[in-house]
Amino acid sequence: MVTTLGEHVIGQRIPRVDALEKVTGRAKYTSDMKLPGMLYGVFLRSPYAHAIIKRIDTSKAEALPGVRAVITQASLAGRVAKIVDEAHGTSIDFQAFADNKVKYQGEKIAAIAATSKEVAEEAAKLIEVEYEVLPAVVDPREAIKTDAPVIHDADKPYKAADGRLLSNTHHSTDGVTGDVEQGFAQSDQIFEDTYVVPRAHQSYIEPQVAIADVSPDGKVTCWTSTQGIFSVRNNIARCLDIPQHKVNVIGMTIGGGFGAKFGGVVDTYAVLLAQATGRPVKVLYNREEEFLDGRPAPGLVITIKTGVRKDGKIIARKAMALWDCGVQGSGSWATARIRGVYDIPNVEYHGYDVVTNKPPTGAYRAPGGPQCSFASEAQLNKIARSLGIDPVDFRLLNMREGPEVDFKATLQAVAEKVGWYNRGKGANEGWGVAVGEWTNGAGAAGAVCTLQDDGSIKVFSGLMDITGTDTAMAQIAAEVSGASIEKVTVVRGDTNSVPIAPGSGGSQITFSMGNAVSRAAKEVRDRILEVASDMLEARPDDLEVGNDKVAVKGAPDRAITLADVAKKAQRTTGGPISGKGSFAQQPSATTIAAQIVKVSVDTDTGKVTVRRVAESLDCGKAINPMAVEGQMEGGSAQGIGWGLWEQMVYAPDGRNLNAGFLDYHLPTSMDLPDIEIALVEVATLNGPFGAKGVGEPPITPGIAAVQEAINDAVAIELHEVPFIPERVRASLKAK
Amino acid sequence: MKMPITLRINGEDYDITVEGRTRLLDAIREQCELTGAKEGCSTGDCGACTVLLDGKPITSCMCFAVTALGKEITTIEGLARNGELTTVQQAFIDRGGLQCGICTPGMILSATALLEETPHPTKDEIRFALAGNLCRCTGYQKIIESVVAASEAAK
Repeated sequence: MVTTLGEHVIGQRIPRVDALEKVTGRAKYTSDMKLPGMLYGVFLRSPYAHAIIKRIDTSKAEALPGVRAVITQASLAGRVAKIVDEAHGTSIDFQAFADNKVKYQGEKIAAIAATSKEVAEEAAKLIEVEYEVLPAVVDPREAIKTDAPVIHDADKPYKAADGRLLSNTHHSTDGVTGDVEQGFAQSDQIFEDTYVVPRAHQSYIEPQVAIADVSPDGKVTCWTSTQGIFSVRNNIARCLDIPQHKVNVIGMTIGGGFGAKFGGVVDTYAVLLAQATGRPVKVLYNREEEFLDGRPAPGLVITIKTGVRKDGKIIARKAMALWDCGVQGSGSWATARIRGVYDIPNVEYHGYDVVTNKPPTGAYRAPGGPQCSFASEAQLNKIARSLGIDPVDFRLLNMREGPEVDFKATLQAVAEKVGWYNRGKGANEGWGVAVGEWTNGAGAAGAVCTLQDDGSIKVFSGLMDITGTDTAMAQIAAEVSGASIEKVTVVRGDTNSVPIAPGSGGSQITFSMGNAVSRAAKEVRDRILEVASDMLEARPDDLEVGNDKVAVKGAPDRAITLADVAKKAQRTTGGPISGKGSFAQQPSATTIAAQIVKVSVDTDTGKVTVRRVAESLDCGKAINPMAVEGQMEGGSAQGIGWGLWEQMVYAPDGRNLNAGFLDYHLPTSMDLPDIEIALVEVATLNGPFGAKGVGEPPITPGIAAVQEAINDAVAIELHEVPFIPERVRASLKAK
Repeated sequence: MKMPITLRINGEDYDITVEGRTRLLDAIREQCELTGAKEGCSTGDCGACTVLLDGKPITSCMCFAVTALGKEITTIEGLARNGELTTVQQAFIDRGGLQCGICTPGMILSATALLEETPHPTKDEIRFALAGNLCRCTGYQKIIESVVAASEAAK
């Protein structure tokens, strides 16, 4: 058996391979690029949330000096131009621009390309549009009513599971296990609660951006900020009816994505303008546009009914959920989160995707998870309190067990971190615990590993690094091939050059690309051993690799360097050493994040201050603990942010009232305390070195943890998120 | 109307042409071609555009280029000397104080300005000094740890 020479790289806190370029300002983000002759694209957007368009006149805009193209849906007549977005199995398919009707404030009506941004913005003002304003609907509870304005004319009333006819609904997700009515009959106590969660915006600090260039033969090149170069390539190809092989997507350094940057927001339009002008065109969103026409997370209104035995065992759970999806999109499949990681024999849920006059729904880190897990966990905390059982013990009593998971150990780890059973609190202080789960995805991944003649290793793939995965890939390649980490370079190619890569989302990269890289590196290692066994006159089984060397076990002076091996290989019949690895689908195991939060509440102002945050996660194997902690700390902040401050606010007429960072409150450094981390490692069968996906679970428990902490502090049970001072005060007053 | 001005950035003179309405951020990124300062919000809320003006952090998206005349501007590109990183930059690398990196130039500049004035700040002082720089990736934890490490390395 081949063993490893020297220290293992897996499990080390290696700094990010791209850290140097980022701390010096040399990292190139899409907007840092300037191409010769580049034009600037801007949009004309609807000021109304719901209106009929009677007339569009672009003539004055087209005549403005410096304007090179003005595109509307009408000007695209006869062409295929739509936005297709495949999110979680539902296909969103809508026109590139509004023509007869606008359905949300900010919807795109026209795109203009000009020699400067200022000229393009001037031109947008010169486009004349005549609207007939219609009543808008923003609350999903209002949108389903029979007298609600119908947003998509083709929508017919949708029959719900309970027989009601819902307006503005055309999709649902339903699940049944066992028999909930029987379960309720067997329960000692039944709880029924309704929870409301608003839409939240991913709020990546780098706005959506793409630069596109089209050559005379129709070949498209697109430089963009994206989580998935293949998603963008396929999107452009499908949206504009261009053969895939004629589209090349180059992924630039990405300034945050959290699910929103898989394409369809700006890239399609950059290509349209490049086609129309014959010049490169940059399309860059501003922050207001992000809120008006990004792809935020759906809102949720959910009623959960739960039956329990007096000893604390959950017997039955039923949920009815309305997901506020805006004009397109889906969240209903996440209603399944009411099961959590618990062993509940009877579960029934019905989730409805409701159309409202708001921008389309997108994915935000564990899509639907924070919303539904909040409702699920908040009610479980209420039930535990009501039964007089400690909320940690209540969960331990009900948690599932199984291979590749240890939910109980994870919850116990965070409880131990804060000394849960000995916790103390002062006046108006309180503690809350909650758990959230996610199962990492798996996607088609290919990677190539080559051994250079100086003994260095190149890892080549289409991986887009958002969470530090380039570093993890380097560690895996080093560990498996025997090169030192310093000798490994991760190279990112474009869609023309690399094997397919899954998008960086769904917590799938370490699992998918990690396996592909591991397999590629193993092919390299096998070839190294083959060549080395010849050079050292020993059997491959008697050799060790590591630290850039191959040596005979027990005889360290009989050693050669990887550089020696590489040079020799280039002269043998085998040829230069390279390996390829492919990965498609393997079953993955669920990961949970358990969080405990301590808050203090100012009963005069209603302000909630977070005093302590701790989170634990079962990550399978932490390839890079520093990176895993980073994901947990970031996800914790996002969950707590949604619970305490973040909400997209709409006026009854559908206007967004807080389309900017002044009034959409993101957590600042002063809003959070130190975040304490505990890692639990229960190896999985299929992850590289036993690793599980870690990107998404950390955001899921935050909202419920703060809700219970507030309750523990001042005895108010808030059901509407976020728990802003006005709501806290109102609830205290109502007591 | 365009006018020629000279901006002094990182100890060098940049002779450029701007309009009265040209923001300092655009002058730095477009005319001076120093793209380390980023645009995150355009309203002075996120701090990604932070540069130092006579050593003090400002949001360059919220001031006109002409108001920086006669002042010393420091951008992220001006910190490392002859390839040698500052203690703050090195600490961010070693401690994982960055993920996507878009807030990092502004964050490092704000931290640098803080440590100039307060060489050994408390965590609360650090959190206060960085409150104008939003980060969505890190939850601030390793950013704070990086600044603490930098202040200790300088002892």
